[in-house]
Amino acid sequence: MIFEQIIAAGMILTTPILLTAMGGLVNKQAGIVNIGLEGKMLSGAFAAVIISSFTGSWLLAVLGAAFIGAIIGLIFSFTITRAGANMIVAGLGLNVLLAGILGFVLNWSFNSSGTLRMPNVVLLPKVLPEEIQIIPIFGKVLAELDPLTIFAWLTVILLPFLLSNTKIGLWIRVTGNAEKVSHSVGIRFKNIQDFSTVVAGFFSGLGGAHLALFSIGLFNEGLTAGRGFIALAAFYFGRDRPVATALACLLFGFLDATQIRMQTIGLPPKLIGMIPYLMVLLALIISSIRKHQRTAK
Amino acid sequence: MLSSYAQKGIGFALPLIVAFLLSGVLLVIIGENPVKIYSMLVDESFGSSRRIAATLSASTPLLFTAVATAICFRSGAFNVGVEGAFLIGGLGAVFCGFFLPVQLGLSIIPIAIIFAGILGGIWLYFPGYLLAKFEVDEVVSTLMLNFIAIAITGYLINGPLLSPTSGNNVTPVIHDVAKLPRLMPPSTLHGGFILGLISVLIYGLWCNRSSSGFESALIGLNQRFSRAVGISVQKTLILVMVLSGIIGGIGGASHGLGQLYRFSDGFSPGYGFTGMAVALLARNSPIGIIAGSILFGALASAGTTIQLFSDIPLDLINIIQGTVMIFAVIEIARLSLRKKIRAEL
Repeated sequence: MIFEQIIAAGMILTTPILLTAMGGLVNKQAGIVNIGLEGKMLSGAFAAVIISSFTGSWLLAVLGAAFIGAIIGLIFSFTITRAGANMIVAGLGLNVLLAGILGFVLNWSFNSSGTLRMPNVVLLPKVLPEEIQIIPIFGKVLAELDPLTIFAWLTVILLPFLLSNTKIGLWIRVTGNAEKVSHSVGIRFKNIQDFSTVVAGFFSGLGGAHLALFSIGLFNEGLTAGRGFIALAAFYFGRDRPVATALACLLFGFLDATQIRMQTIGLPPKLIGMIPYLMVLLALIISSIRKHQRTAK
Repeated sequence: MLSSYAQKGIGFALPLIVAFLLSGVLLVIIGENPVKIYSMLVDESFGSSRRIAATLSASTPLLFTAVATAICFRSGAFNVGVEGAFLIGGLGAVFCGFFLPVQLGLSIIPIAIIFAGILGGIWLYFPGYLLAKFEVDEVVSTLMLNFIAIAITGYLINGPLLSPTSGNNVTPVIHDVAKLPRLMPPSTLHGGFILGLISVLIYGLWCNRSSSGFESALIGLNQRFSRAVGISVQKTLILVMVLSGIIGGIGGASHGLGQLYRFSDGFSPGYGFTGMAVALLARNSPIGIIAGSILFGALASAGTTIQLFSDIPLDLINIIQGTVMIFAVIEIARLSLRKKIRAEL
């Protein structure tokens, strides 16, 4: 019983990280490290709650969140590709700026500090009928399955194909690996980078929408709680490969799900929360040392 | 040609102008008069000696974090981990402040500050070493270390270092003798501000008057050239990271011993990142760092009071800070300048 619940909770907690990580991965493949994922997730969550409340449609809410994320991504990309901003500082600045704007809007037009509760927020629907619960072990996961989770895992399956077999996918990878080469063979690498950042924004917006609309149906300033950075950690750990990144997301999602339970058996939750970051640090060290040895030879 | 002072001045002013324009537009949208709000901000932050003291008090942690960031940025090391060193150093100093026997008297203060500096230095030694020896990307490693620092301090103040007398997430209060003196009571301006100014001064001297300061600037400009003239890039990178950690750690000590007297959740509301905005704005110059720290200190202290008296949300400060960070790295100003130079040729 507990086992089933952990699987279900782990899958649910994986989805927002996974969506965001897939976007960030595409961005990274095109050569842009997107530190602003966190802020875009938060904006997506905010948009999702408001649109869901006004239109009563989860689909419009999800699309709206993705659209907001994509627009922010485009503007952000322009500061990097056209105005020559350092992507790290611009990304950190974007997070601060977006948190400020959201807090400002929240405070002023909704007259609340920190949390936004809206009437009639429509949550994400469950795809499968509730009776599916009776299937052992995976029944609970299947019963909880929502459209965004399915979309996220479809992306994981399709992305390797898209990146290696389509024109735009190859352009993205060329741009990230050798900007100058891509330029000399006539690829407009700045446009490609802009496109990839829009993709990252789109997926972060979806990730935020899932966070807000899966079960809680409200927005909070601390809703994302560093998940944008966990997503960053995931694709660093997965070395920009979709399937490996997805596995890292799954691991982080399950760590998140077990965190509360570990507490009851005496393991401090704060220390468990730092595992993803430690793992990235280790992965980064190992891969850099390997690369170093190879070049030394 | 513009002199370098004018160039620095433009670099300092431009992001600020954009930020104040943007927030001005927001203020107009919500039906406030930006000029009125801005003059209120100025009045709240510099209108009386008491308000000036509050402003300087709020700028104190930024002096440290901005210097710590600038030390690395001018060498081309993208250290975003000052926040972590600040937290680790802060907790270390507070620990000394309540754990060491009271009989040690005033000597607790220097012990705590040195301990904090050592902790901060060690904390950033790791990413420095990894960057120098194995080219481990310092942005990601220091970013990750920030989260690890938050987790470790969060665990310690909830477990081993939890105050026995109060609820959650807070250490015991430090001894009275370990508290840094208040300079202008009743304001919270404390001795840490002087320490911060001294740090900026030493930083300025180090930049302009020492060989290691010169070498570290050189590797920021051109690593291959530096190597060719015999500068050890590896050693210099490790040095600047450790120095950055030491200053960040001492900053945490100043905040813990002078301002809060204990370590609790939210010890630093992002001082490391605001310090980064200050360092970028100042283009690493010492005078710019002092001006920028006071500016952001003013925004923080006046912002809090202004929220009490009007409907302006405090988040306006975040909007200004974020915009400053983005526009401080945008190269529009420099681009147009470069074009001019090219046209002259």
